[in-house]
Amino acid sequence: MLKPEIVQKFVEIVGKDRCKTSQEDLLTYSYDASILDEFLPDAVLFPVTTEEVSRIMTLASAHNVFVTPRGSASGLGGEALAKKGGIVLAFTQMNKILEINTENRYAIVEPGIIVSDFQKALEKVNLFYPPDPGSATVATMAGTVMMNAGGMRGIKYGVTRDYLLGMEIVLPSGEVMKTGTITTKDVTGYDLTRLICGSEGTLALATKITVRLLPKPKARRTLLAIYDDIDDAGKTVSKIVEAGIIPATMELMDKVIIKAVEESFHLGLPLDADALLLIDVDGDTETVERQAPLVADFCKGQGARDVRISSSEEENVQLWAARRATFGCCARLRPTCLTEDATVPVSHLVEAIKKIKELCEKNRVQVAVLAHAGDGNLHPLMLCDKRDKDEMARVEKTFDEFVEYAMSVGGTLSGEHGIGINKAKYLPQQLSPTSLRMQRALKNVFDPQGILNPGSFLEACPK
Amino acid sequence: MIAKELQEEVYNCFKCGLCLNSCPVYKQLNVEGASPRGKVQLIKRIQEGKFEATENFKNILFTCLLCETCTVNCPSGVKIDRLFKAMRAEVLKKFKLPLYKQMMFNILSSDRLLPFCMFWGRTIGNPLMSLLPQKGKIGAIAFSKLPRLNAQPLLDQYPETIAAAKARGRVLYFPGCATNYLFENIGHSVIKVLKRLNVEVIIPKDQKCCSLPIFLSGARKMALGNIKKNIDVFNRYDHVDAIIVDCATCGAAFKEEYVHILEEMGEDAEAARKFRDKVMDISQYLAKFDMKKYLQPLKGRVTYHDPCHLLRSQKIKDEPRALLKQIPGLEFIEMAGADVCCGGGGTFQLDHPEISEGITKNKIQSIKDTGADTVASGCPGCRLQINGNLGNEAIKVVHPIELLAKAMGDV
Repeated sequence: MLKPEIVQKFVEIVGKDRCKTSQEDLLTYSYDASILDEFLPDAVLFPVTTEEVSRIMTLASAHNVFVTPRGSASGLGGEALAKKGGIVLAFTQMNKILEINTENRYAIVEPGIIVSDFQKALEKVNLFYPPDPGSATVATMAGTVMMNAGGMRGIKYGVTRDYLLGMEIVLPSGEVMKTGTITTKDVTGYDLTRLICGSEGTLALATKITVRLLPKPKARRTLLAIYDDIDDAGKTVSKIVEAGIIPATMELMDKVIIKAVEESFHLGLPLDADALLLIDVDGDTETVERQAPLVADFCKGQGARDVRISSSEEENVQLWAARRATFGCCARLRPTCLTEDATVPVSHLVEAIKKIKELCEKNRVQVAVLAHAGDGNLHPLMLCDKRDKDEMARVEKTFDEFVEYAMSVGGTLSGEHGIGINKAKYLPQQLSPTSLRMQRALKNVFDPQGILNPGSFLEACPK
Repeated sequence: MIAKELQEEVYNCFKCGLCLNSCPVYKQLNVEGASPRGKVQLIKRIQEGKFEATENFKNILFTCLLCETCTVNCPSGVKIDRLFKAMRAEVLKKFKLPLYKQMMFNILSSDRLLPFCMFWGRTIGNPLMSLLPQKGKIGAIAFSKLPRLNAQPLLDQYPETIAAAKARGRVLYFPGCATNYLFENIGHSVIKVLKRLNVEVIIPKDQKCCSLPIFLSGARKMALGNIKKNIDVFNRYDHVDAIIVDCATCGAAFKEEYVHILEEMGEDAEAARKFRDKVMDISQYLAKFDMKKYLQPLKGRVTYHDPCHLLRSQKIKDEPRALLKQIPGLEFIEMAGADVCCGGGGTFQLDHPEISEGITKNKIQSIKDTGADTVASGCPGCRLQINGNLGNEAIKVVHPIELLAKAMGDV
């Protein structure tokens, strides 16, 4: 428990309104979007300036107070939870866009701005920030930076890391430091920007984030390919990648999803289909006009029974409605929906889908398969009820086995959701003892007292 | 505790947080307790007996517009608004209503007090209102923008039945408190349009306040008398084609809320179910008429704001727009974010004027960006909120039916 005199000192920094300690406030800062149990913090602070963050950390390190940074808590592994108590540093009120530079195509934002709010502001000046995790309308920029969030556009546009130019960070000691620059090219010293990106908030706190931007693509076409056999859909994906065509997105949905979506939304999806591929091509108008039919031919060549190509932006949106509705429709089937994200090399996609279905059948787990297929990023949605202990054990067993499989083909245990605490037990399967030792050493350089985001993946990982 | 079927709802929330960005209140405060997810999680813990409802919890629960945006956007389909409404009633068993609400609801639910207060209101209150300081505010509404009471309640100005020769239809009209006591022009407009279309209009004199402000504040028992009375009135006229309302809120009460509340209170909801499908917003009822031949051109540019109780509670989106679009000469322009709550939320703006004004500011900006000289909306609460925050803007705030009636010229 935090001593009242220390809480008082925090109040002196941020004021009473931005230091919350009521039971209700602590409870609402005790969870994220995972199925983990709650972790109650001792206080929640809402800093709005770098100076406040710095003073908070100076005080915290002087008194060895645990500090856990938090954005919107849409994470899936407890990364933003006060796993060992202490204070939660909520960045949601530090949420301004500081600069959008159209000449040099970069922007500087505060940590708490919501990704989609930032993207909307950019659209007005014809600029584009591509990372689009499914949680873009909730997640904060700092949250996506700390988790190196991916999303549907990964195959063509990469992930958050690929757009980061620099940051202003506050170290656990309270020192303020800059990383990176505003230029695209920068090889001055170690690349600390990209080290901190994806660190799950364990190394430093971001107070300013500089990202590079792209011009908004002029045109977009959406293709919906319908398959009688999910294997053919999977094969199409690897064939398209192999042929050197780079669509903006390639999403795969299995028949469980098709049925769930169609039953709730009546979008005219074929109920007898085994799988769907939803593919976007974007870029200059000429490129798009050339690529769309090419991709359609590819799909047909691999056994698609029908391919619809959109002819307008409205139609794009209509076709995407099915994909956007997916999560919701499946989530309605059972109380708990676990979205896993083990990722395999794209050439193993077909096999990986078979594997997960087989494992789920064996362990009697209800599953719907969705995938950011273009980059081999699977999202098996495991449908269950958290209150059913036996069922949850079967879900865990399935995932244990699937991770083992993903490792065996050179995949990763998490493509974009991160490790947090619920996947930490698998870390030694992917990271060697040397790698883990190096990671722990790095953590120690940044945070020798171990006060920043304690209980995170390195600590939760079996020694 | 709240009804069993609603208790299960909390387990369907898997805390994805997608409701955060849809919640106008959360977007103002950026504090989890303000978000739907935060409230659902607190309710879950109360249900499980891990935590007692405190005064602070009550305040958190009432820091909500009940705009239902979270409900329609929830991927898991959690009935968030119904959960909150039921919980409000639950919390009120432990904590009292604020004094002003007790007084207000006592008046609204009383046979004698309401006419009595309205009489003295217009006799003394109206003249006194001009003495109020120009700059002051009540809640989020500027004093200078407060409406005056009708010189005579609308119900006293018309006979119970307005017959039509060779009637094309017969409807029951429920003007609601706002039209009856404050905005009589809306009532005159509804009646004028229906008369012109040769529809017989029945206006039962013993209709009561729909009581939505009362029961959404949690005071369900207090509302029960009015609810039952209105149900009786509506079922008495089973020969009408439709029950017409001009107020989004009254419509939401009759179509949705009555049945839920009665069921959750363990009362018989059969009678409430009997008439609910007949209830129609005036814009919905008029959709089947071809009115072109009656309409003369109007000038100007109009935009439309979706009331929560029309769009989300009743799924009425196109009909009011269609009414406006068919008026010749009038240019219709869609505003950005027409479906976003105006920030009024009934008594919310009285309890949380700062949050309310912050939300309304964005709405006013969207209205101004259209360049419209008139904004139309079928909800008295929205109109009051928008008008009350327009400052010196020369933008008129009306009900769509007022423009339609105007385009019909003199009857």
